[in-house]
Amino acid sequence: MSEQLTLYLHKVSPFSQKIQLALAEANAPYRAYQVNLRNKPEWFTSKLNPVGQVPVLTYGGPNVNPEDPSSLSAKIVESNVILEFLADLYPNSGLLPKDPVLRAKVRFFIDATMKHVEGTYLAFVQGNESFDNVLKAIEFIQELLEEGRNFAVGDHYTIADACISPHLARLKIVTETDIGNFPAGMGYRLGEELEGPRFAKFKKYAQRMLDRPGFQQTHDEEAIIGYFKRRFTNRIQ
Amino acid sequence: MSEQLTLYFSKISRYSHKVELALIEANAPYTAYQVDLDNKPEWFTSKVNPVGEVPAVTYGGPNVNPDDPSPLSAKIAESNVILEFLVDLHPDSGLMPNDLVLRAKVRFFIDATTKYIEGMYFPFIEGNESFENVLKGIEFIQGLLEEGRDFAVGDHYTIADACITPHLARLKIVTETDIGSFPVGMGYKLGEELKGAKFTKFKKYAERMLGRPSLKQTCDEEAITGYLKRFLRAQF
Repeated sequence: MSEQLTLYLHKVSPFSQKIQLALAEANAPYRAYQVNLRNKPEWFTSKLNPVGQVPVLTYGGPNVNPEDPSSLSAKIVESNVILEFLADLYPNSGLLPKDPVLRAKVRFFIDATMKHVEGTYLAFVQGNESFDNVLKAIEFIQELLEEGRNFAVGDHYTIADACISPHLARLKIVTETDIGNFPAGMGYRLGEELEGPRFAKFKKYAQRMLDRPGFQQTHDEEAIIGYFKRRFTNRIQ
Repeated sequence: MSEQLTLYFSKISRYSHKVELALIEANAPYTAYQVDLDNKPEWFTSKVNPVGEVPAVTYGGPNVNPDDPSPLSAKIAESNVILEFLVDLHPDSGLMPNDLVLRAKVRFFIDATTKYIEGMYFPFIEGNESFENVLKGIEFIQGLLEEGRDFAVGDHYTIADACITPHLARLKIVTETDIGSFPVGMGYKLGEELKGAKFTKFKKYAERMLGRPSLKQTCDEEAITGYLKRFLRAQF
């Protein structure tokens, strides 16, 4: 039984990329539709997500044009809710392990990513904080990574890996381009810190995630850099 | 196959309260141990939860005294992670529906509770914000409640109900006692707003949740009120 799956996304959104990664790793068929976030179509807000954000997943209902969503499909929003939905839809994909304790570890990893990584990264790039908290966050995540394991939890790519990977990519861009509202050079310095032995385990993990085909296929570095350049134009002196 | 489950909690914690509710509603056996958050035992941080917070759960391993946790048990922290863990342990309890779309609704409700209810509570209690955001949060949640349904999602008590109910209990206490760092009377005013026609659906839902035996067994109003009084002193 194959219900239709349509993902409304935007190529610079780390939140919609999480979903693309999970779908790619689960080998799940779906339709992708990029929403013009700067010129939001009326039907997007009225029929899909009143909050007007991506990602949105429609599930089921008749096969329609993505621009003409059916009222009969289920509409699912919030990236982490969608990730869990996909794990339910594809129970044998490995997106979530079967063991309850390992499942709890995946969810704890996701919770840590939300609590520690997302907020500190944004505060740094927006010029509101130094990168000290970013490093603390990365250390916290690193503690959760097991030596010699390829994935965040267990032996398979899970929604934990999907959840953190877009942020790893954007951190990398910031350390390589120094784009952000922080004082000039702080992006490069953050990169140097992350090259140190203290973060070796994290760095190896991040590189593995960014090397995956599923990631490469969904990552538009140029678009993200362009977006960062437009968004972060108020450098703190 | 019955592995041991021990819940480390506190009567004043709105987070560990969620887990108590879910365990009781699922009829799940467990050992409860109250942690004195003002006087945290060293073994709690070193052996159970390095972050030092409740709730924390140990699962499996030998049957030991809760204050002597075994390294062989799994340690699980973060209230919403624990709620999902309980669902996995008790798949037929109804704590989560079987239908995939309804499961997404439960998780969306929990996400909304975290964002719009949990986040708004302390800024108001601590006197840093008016209750406007509390009301906006409640309105958002109310929008998710279906007319004529007894629970947040579907026809059974789920982890969505367990997630929000501790806040409903504490909000009720605040509106009845006016205890907090906000200007005198603001707690009562919030209560009056919530009695208005605009919040009828929410109020009915809250009353149903607060009327359940699981809540009555686990809600220590004295302890919560005592804790809130610390905020009163801060008014000077």
